[in-house]
Amino acid sequence: MDECQSAIPAHDGDLHVVAAAHHIVKALGTTKNLSDDLRKILIDLDAHLSLITSNIDSKGGKGFVEVEERLKRVERKIVIWESDRIMIWDSGPKEASDYLEAVDEVQTLIDSLRGLSMNENQKQKELLHRASSLLQMAMSRLEEELIHMLVKHKQQSEPTYIPSPSSQRNVVYNESVVSLDNESAKEASSKNSCSDECGEYIVDLVPEHVIPDIKSIAKVMFASDYGQEFCEAFIGVRKEALEQHFDILENGKLSIEDLLKMEWCSLSTEMNKWTWSMKIIFGVYLMSEKRLCDQVLGEFGSVNSFCFLEIAKTTILCLLNFGEAIAMGPQEPEKLLRLLDMYETLADLVIDIDALFSEDGGSFVRLEFHKLLEGLADSVKAAFNAFGVAVSSNGSLYPFPGGGVHPLSKYVMNYISMFPEYCSTLNLLLEDQHSDVASLVSEPQCGPTASLSTSCPMACHLRSITSSLESNLHKKSKLYKDEALQHIFLMNNLHYMVQKVKGSELRPFFGDEWIRKHNAKFQQHEMNYERVTWSSVVLLLKDDNPGSSSLSKSAFKEKCKGFSIAFEEVYKNQTSWCIPDPQLREDLRISTSLKVVHAYRTFLGRNPAHVDDKCIKHTVEDVEKLLFDLFEGSPRSLRNSRRMMKT
Amino acid sequence: MTWSKGGTICFFFLNRKAGKESRVSVLRTSLGPSPLNSSQAILSSNTTLFHCKNQLQQKCNAFKRKPSVFLGENQYQEVIMDTQEQELEDIELFQKHVSDRFTELSSPPEDDALLSVSWLHRLLDVFLCCEAEFEAILIMDRDPSQLSKPPFDRLIPEFIERAVKALDICNAVANGVDSVRHCQKLSEIVISALDQNPLGDGHAKRAKKALLMLLSAMNLDDKEGTHVKATERSWSFGRRGVNKEQIAGHFRSLSWQVAKNWSSAKQIQSMIYNLVAPRGAEASGLPSPIYTMNVIMIFVMWALVAAIPCQERNGLPTHFPVPKQLNWAHSLIGLQEKIADEWKKKEKKGMSGLLDELQKMEKLAQSLIDFTDSFHFPGDAEKVKEAAANVSELKEIFGRMDQGLTPLQMHIREVFHRIVRSRTEFLDVLEKGSAPVV
Repeated sequence: MDECQSAIPAHDGDLHVVAAAHHIVKALGTTKNLSDDLRKILIDLDAHLSLITSNIDSKGGKGFVEVEERLKRVERKIVIWESDRIMIWDSGPKEASDYLEAVDEVQTLIDSLRGLSMNENQKQKELLHRASSLLQMAMSRLEEELIHMLVKHKQQSEPTYIPSPSSQRNVVYNESVVSLDNESAKEASSKNSCSDECGEYIVDLVPEHVIPDIKSIAKVMFASDYGQEFCEAFIGVRKEALEQHFDILENGKLSIEDLLKMEWCSLSTEMNKWTWSMKIIFGVYLMSEKRLCDQVLGEFGSVNSFCFLEIAKTTILCLLNFGEAIAMGPQEPEKLLRLLDMYETLADLVIDIDALFSEDGGSFVRLEFHKLLEGLADSVKAAFNAFGVAVSSNGSLYPFPGGGVHPLSKYVMNYISMFPEYCSTLNLLLEDQHSDVASLVSEPQCGPTASLSTSCPMACHLRSITSSLESNLHKKSKLYKDEALQHIFLMNNLHYMVQKVKGSELRPFFGDEWIRKHNAKFQQHEMNYERVTWSSVVLLLKDDNPGSSSLSKSAFKEKCKGFSIAFEEVYKNQTSWCIPDPQLREDLRISTSLKVVHAYRTFLGRNPAHVDDKCIKHTVEDVEKLLFDLFEGSPRSLRNSRRMMKT
Repeated sequence: MTWSKGGTICFFFLNRKAGKESRVSVLRTSLGPSPLNSSQAILSSNTTLFHCKNQLQQKCNAFKRKPSVFLGENQYQEVIMDTQEQELEDIELFQKHVSDRFTELSSPPEDDALLSVSWLHRLLDVFLCCEAEFEAILIMDRDPSQLSKPPFDRLIPEFIERAVKALDICNAVANGVDSVRHCQKLSEIVISALDQNPLGDGHAKRAKKALLMLLSAMNLDDKEGTHVKATERSWSFGRRGVNKEQIAGHFRSLSWQVAKNWSSAKQIQSMIYNLVAPRGAEASGLPSPIYTMNVIMIFVMWALVAAIPCQERNGLPTHFPVPKQLNWAHSLIGLQEKIADEWKKKEKKGMSGLLDELQKMEKLAQSLIDFTDSFHFPGDAEKVKEAAANVSELKEIFGRMDQGLTPLQMHIREVFHRIVRSRTEFLDVLEKGSAPVV
């Protein structure tokens, strides 16, 4: 327009040129296939040329008649809505586009009036004043329309496909090594996996058909220099919408002080919620919000990233601070899985965060989340180490009754069987501590036959943990006074470990060699048990005099008595012992039976003359049967059974 | 940029004099030209700290652990005496620095008013410097078991607990800075509306709308009751029923960062609770810098809460007792009294915060609202001129906020991270100290 301004004609002769130009412009304006921008330029030019004409006509004031007429026309169009209770955009597309056209016209008039030199022309000043008041009225109205539109449509865009955090599998692993409880270890939670289900999922936060309307308002407001008001309103509504979504995710806003004091059970729930919220907020809402900002504001320079940051900031900081508080807290072993969830979630999102906040203004968001990721990595390492320490240092004052599978074994084995799900993360994080541990557990796997899975950092750490567990179990076994029970205890626990490894994802990380070795270990304890318990008993039946065919009656009686007493003693003791695994129990009974029953039968067979009811308390069949009462974990005595047999 | 003036930065180095080694020797230099530089400088000071910590560790280990190898019994005693003397010297030096820094803070240069954005930057710098020195005195070259004995087994956990409370305040205040930035954005609208010649009714109306929003954003402040959600407001149900200005005023309320019932006033109260100056023998030993650092931390957090709109400030204490006879505390007490006086005035008037820029902005907004209320084109020339002067003043404040607020948020974040780190260090020391000797 500046060029036009300088080209205001001074002579009447130039009027013809202006008139001709005006004519051409008008003619061009009727062309059908014009782009919007070009049409606008033509309209502006048209207005300007007509102003020049009228200016020259008027020679100092009166001739603003046409401008005034046009102003009056748009004034009517704009003012009429002021008294109407209905929103313009609710009334229909025709009304909306009429209104926008009117605002355009006001803007054009203002531009043109400003474009003319102000020669203390009272009329011109007055018209300009009227026009800018009218513009303010329209802008104020457009702002209201915008807010109304955004508020009205934001509710309808609730994405319904997102499952609530309660519907996912998030059984909480609430036990700590310190407070072991027998069965609860089985409830060890499985990984909170939903990364596959939701990932990046852009939704329409505002219905698609509304976007052009919002954009048209943005266009007019920015053109009239009311961009700040537009942003203010836009940010306000969108920010609140985001915060509502955040509230729906049930994130209790918590102070760091509260979080540090929180019970593990509630904290674990909060950690789950965080993981979930991060995925939803960043993966869905912020992605979508960014798209909305780009769609609406993409044409107006860097405003879109500014608005996006303002909308997102509060929510983001909430999530960030929670993460900080967790990374700050003491890293107890039971936190490990939740920390891994948090770490993995953030690690997955970091690229998105970098992309969402790629502009300068968002650099602090990127920086803070990268820092948080590092903090969480350290926390995972700390919790992992704490877990290792807890496994090796868990102490007991009293022997575990019955010699069954110790809760620590259950806890540890169930807990580590979750680790394979986090394999790549753990490998990454444990890499730098790898060499120390690898040398500690340099089993044959690490040799030339080693496969990739048994030599990765996580595998070495896993074996290091189970080897701490083993040495701890050895310590615990020493609490039993009875050597046989020590062997039963170790057999049970080692067998449990092997079973757990064989029957889970752990197998590839431990390798067949480990399994073979540990099978051999528990079998060794099995054999040791038999030796310690039964060798002396069987010895009682041994023929002192291999040459002679049979014993004297008294010697036979003596041996029988000795055997009965020893057997009853074992029976009394070992019925209260426990072998939880039925197969293992069965195997041990059979092999015991083979040894003891066989010896007994041979003994009795060698002395057929003395065999009568008086001497022999227990028949071979009795012994065979009674052996099946062992290791059931319920103490019995033969005193009752003896009486029963006698009667 | 103004906040760098007079700011201090610490460099730690090994000071060998007469065969003694000082834990802390502080060289004061002026800050770089921007907060970015200041954080870099602080970062580099930490590296230096770490470096000299290592050096010291090696030397002192040689002395302390195997005295018999190097020294006779008498000489050993001498070394211990020396270390104690050195410690007292270090504490004295630390407190002198604290005193100097607060003296500097209490006599700010003219363009750097008390509780202005740039003053707050300097306050945070002071905190960071004092904190670094404090950590050096307490942790560097210290046998961890010493800190797990009385009275430290009580004093240090208490300090750590206060530090955690300070973290929540940092978050609340950083969020509060956002609400100040919102005011700044609104003032930008006022400026672009009124910065017109000739000024028309439309411009005045536009300005008035923004001014009303500005004032209500300022006074929204910490009263919970005004926290109204947009959806509960009536604009979506027939807009004509409500006063338009009312809508604008309530628009975009603050959303709090911290827990629902969290109150910054209560948080400060609980930080003050139980804070007792060391007495008797403790007054000259290590407990005294711990007390000093506690006071500094409380003061800094308290000043931030007073200056910046912050969640629930009703009942913010105006006083916490610091014995007047403590030399290092003079300036700090003076500042405390000044700020407390301002706060008492605020409580009567119900302003948004003591932040210098915010107070000035509020005054300007008040007079501009009067102006826009009565303005009719073409307006009284005198009044228009007066308004133009106000607008240019508003512009100047806007400029200061524009430059200083985002860096202030970063600075608060830096303090936050520093407190987190120092807390971890202290926890480590406590853990090492309480571990059974093998």
